[in-house]
Amino acid sequence: MFMAALILIVSTGLFGFYLQAVCQRILRRQFAQEFFQSIVNANRLEFPSVRKSIEALNSPVEYPRLTLTLKCDFLALTYLLKNAANINQRYTYEERLLIVYFKLVFASLITCHWLKLSERPAVLKLAKILEYFANVVGERVNTVRFGNLTASDYLLNL
Amino acid sequence: MNNQILIHALEYGISVLEALVCVLLVSRGGWRQLKGLCLYVTLLFALDGIGRVAILNYYGQTSRQYANFYWVTDVVLALGAFLLTCGFFRRACVREEKLWRLVRLLLVFVIILVIAISALALTRHQGQLYAWFIIEFSQNLYFSCLVLNTLLYVMIQQFAIEDGELGLLVCGMGIQFAGEAACLALLHLTSGENFARNIAMVLPPACTLGMLSTWVYAILRPTPTDPVRSRARKQAWVEAVAD
Repeated sequence: MFMAALILIVSTGLFGFYLQAVCQRILRRQFAQEFFQSIVNANRLEFPSVRKSIEALNSPVEYPRLTLTLKCDFLALTYLLKNAANINQRYTYEERLLIVYFKLVFASLITCHWLKLSERPAVLKLAKILEYFANVVGERVNTVRFGNLTASDYLLNL
Repeated sequence: MNNQILIHALEYGISVLEALVCVLLVSRGGWRQLKGLCLYVTLLFALDGIGRVAILNYYGQTSRQYANFYWVTDVVLALGAFLLTCGFFRRACVREEKLWRLVRLLLVFVIILVIAISALALTRHQGQLYAWFIIEFSQNLYFSCLVLNTLLYVMIQQFAIEDGELGLLVCGMGIQFAGEAACLALLHLTSGENFARNIAMVLPPACTLGMLSTWVYAILRPTPTDPVRSRARKQAWVEAVAD
């Protein structure tokens, strides 16, 4: 009985751990170049500045603004993932998994806030996911050209 | 009814992904490097995708023959998974012969320990020796594989082994082992209560689906310099725009 209970607890914990490990492995993907910058500039996304302020300045987090910023960036990027230079107009398997992962980490950010724990690790994870999404969108968009301009340059000049 | 539809959908999904993994490994030439994986997926397809379905259709879900076949094939699959984990350990230790000798000893010790612990359970269930040994052995073997798999994952991190594919394959195995072990433990704890049976019908196929999806991603995952894929995508986009 004791052994079965122990197995149940450990297995459930490891199940969550492996799901997170898969997400982290997907996020570790290296892109040919930093595609996210042009997407960030074109769409005025704020997650890089949020990350920079947390990483470099270690300044206190303004919670309501932070959550709103991350949520808006997430909505913009998921829309672009589905519709920008995407012939199938649907998410891939890894994108769906990362969307669920983002929502779980976002929930953990809210929990950390209520429990008055450090929100820094959760915010950095969320920024990493958003950077990945922006890189994927940038990579897709980069393959399409309008005259002499790449699509991201075109968007930037609108 | 909804539960049945979900189970059927999961089973079809698993069969499709099993076939896909085999086709991908053969078409991309990856089977030479991943022979163990190829064999395990083929075994999974033969026993789980064909054998179990055939026995189920012939004898029915409540029959003793189906129950016996299910649990015996479960042990075979658990043994296959254990051997696959050993194969992953070998791949991780390919440049560390000393470490591999140590790991090999550990793996032999683990399988002996699992047989011994499972045999101990026989003394507590004299009336249903066969059934209890099979379930106990299966549960212990899955749990051991889970622990070994975690050890392998930690080893990959600690030794900074630059093998992205192996890392993802190990994560996929972990999802499968964790789900199976938790499910078997829940069945054991509740002595086969109705709600545990319902979970046991849905969770293991869902975990298998997760494992196979992760493996497909591991095989297909894009690399920084993948000009062929990039060109193909660009061509597809240009054609779509032209249409």
